[in-house]
Amino acid sequence: MYSQDFIFILLFVVLGLALPMATLAMIGPLLRPKHPTKEKLKTYESGLDPVGDARVRYNVRYYLFALMFLAFDVETVFLYPWAVEYHNLGLYGFTEMLIFLVLLAIGLVYAWRKKVLEWK
Amino acid sequence: MFHWESTPLTGLSFLGMVIGAVVVLLIALAVVTYAIYFERKFIGWMQLRIGPNRVGPFGLFQSFADILKLLIKEDVIPDKADRIMFLLAPVIAFVPSFMVLAVIPFSSTHVFTAGLNVGVLYYLAISAITILGVVLGGWASNNKYSLIGGMRSAAQMISYEIPLGLSIVGVVLLSGSLNMNVIVAHQAKMWFIIPQIIGFVVFIIAGLAELNRTPFDLPEAESELVAGYHTEYSGFRFAFFMLTEYVYAFALAALATTLFLGGWSGPFLPSWLWFVIKTAAVIFFLFWVRATMPRMRGDQLMSFAWKVLIPVALFNLLLTGGLYLL
Amino acid sequence: MPELFGIPITGANIAFFVLALIILLSGVTVLMMDKLMHMAVALGGVFLGVAGIFILLGADFVGIVQIMIYAGAITILMVFALMLTQNGDETRTAQPHPTRTWLTLIFTVVFVGIIVIVLRSVQWPVSQNAIEPFTQPTVNLIAQALYHTYMIPFELVSLLLTAALVGAVLIARKEEE
Repeated sequence: MYSQDFIFILLFVVLGLALPMATLAMIGPLLRPKHPTKEKLKTYESGLDPVGDARVRYNVRYYLFALMFLAFDVETVFLYPWAVEYHNLGLYGFTEMLIFLVLLAIGLVYAWRKKVLEWK
Repeated sequence: MFHWESTPLTGLSFLGMVIGAVVVLLIALAVVTYAIYFERKFIGWMQLRIGPNRVGPFGLFQSFADILKLLIKEDVIPDKADRIMFLLAPVIAFVPSFMVLAVIPFSSTHVFTAGLNVGVLYYLAISAITILGVVLGGWASNNKYSLIGGMRSAAQMISYEIPLGLSIVGVVLLSGSLNMNVIVAHQAKMWFIIPQIIGFVVFIIAGLAELNRTPFDLPEAESELVAGYHTEYSGFRFAFFMLTEYVYAFALAALATTLFLGGWSGPFLPSWLWFVIKTAAVIFFLFWVRATMPRMRGDQLMSFAWKVLIPVALFNLLLTGGLYLL
Repeated sequence: MPELFGIPITGANIAFFVLALIILLSGVTVLMMDKLMHMAVALGGVFLGVAGIFILLGADFVGIVQIMIYAGAITILMVFALMLTQNGDETRTAQPHPTRTWLTLIFTVVFVGIIVIVLRSVQWPVSQNAIEPFTQPTVNLIAQALYHTYMIPFELVSLLLTAALVGAVLIARKEEE
């Protein structure tokens, strides 16, 4: 049965969780020392006292890449089933995907021309 | 041929699955341990140094010493950190890195492989979860270097995930399946690296960026960001971030082998040995690149993904589709 | 086969209830958390649970796509939380009046009660024949539907994606000026 493959994957999830849990939460505390001091628990900032807090509003310059990623991620998802069935779709499928890709390429070219793909 | 889906689910076959999964875990840990050793050794040789040579013969036990050292180091959780998320982040990063190994066909008998019909997509989807762990670790540390490193990692990894995904579509097109076992079977006559050479180049470049390895190691640029998103992590929690990176290096090499280099297929030698040889060659290539290339400039990084890799990958796709019709 | 509340205990049923529990708990956690970053992580639990349900129903392609898209989407949610709020640390505003809390509770109980009564009183149709397993991998079935039967909607999707892309660029440009 096909579902057995997913049982196998479930085992990987369980093992993947078990390894960090065993080493970090169970074996680790027995082996490692625990002597926290005020200095040790300070946030690192090149050896100086940290200036202010890291939790200030932080302008992530590349949020446009994030938005473009979403569009292209969806596009990739459409490409996979197309590629799988390509040998049955033939020229018809090729034309279809050509239109799809050209439309998306227009979006990419637009972003390019508007110079939002640059680092500032 | 053996497949999990063709055996009935009994107690015994379930036990077999458990053993299979544990073996994969042990293999992954062993590969990581010795990948780190050989990376240091090779880069040492390339720079006319000796590399690790103190612990055991030829320094063979160096990595074990390092692991032991990390295990007995204090686990410092900064006062200002977000405690729960700080503890959770390495786990979120690690689990997917191990999960992706479930679909890699290591040998011609698929005891260690789940023959998913969506195998390739499974790899991409699961590996995307790791980005969450990285961003979360950077944020939870409440440290400026960590935060900026985490953000850089996220931007880089999502940008290069697109070309990585697109470069594989050509292979899927030629084999007509997302199932890795089928993809390997389709390469009996010719490895896909030959018809998909453009795809392979894009795949390797995007893969290097996904791994945050040189020349794309900006998120961990020591000269400006200390250690990037894991600056505040110490002891074994730090070790799990490192482990994640190297398990991915192994997984990506295994994926490259499976998709482009014919997987386990090859004459004379047993299938698993072919797989080992090819994967080791790809991993060696990663080390070689690290010893050779300088770090990329920040302003080139993003535009390279969007202006070069994605158009090239799309062009490769249309080329493959067109040639397939002829 | 052993039964519990009239539901046979099978692997699939156990998996369904575990997944449903994960989805509900994560969903409640999203609402309970103060910090946006914590919410984003809990939201990840919801999406993973839903992906699990898809896979359980045999729609492996949709399940994996769910993970792929939302892993990226949650990362982006985090980036935006960092950009737009006090670093994902926005604490809750003033507590609502206690009467309001009580009223909310009463209405919720009444609402859930009505839903349960309605659900229990309807005679739901039950399929008599067993569900046929898919003859082909779901990817192929989806491809045939998408690229043969629903070709025009598929092309419209690309138009939609392009519009989204152009919109994002426009917003980004406006921000800079």
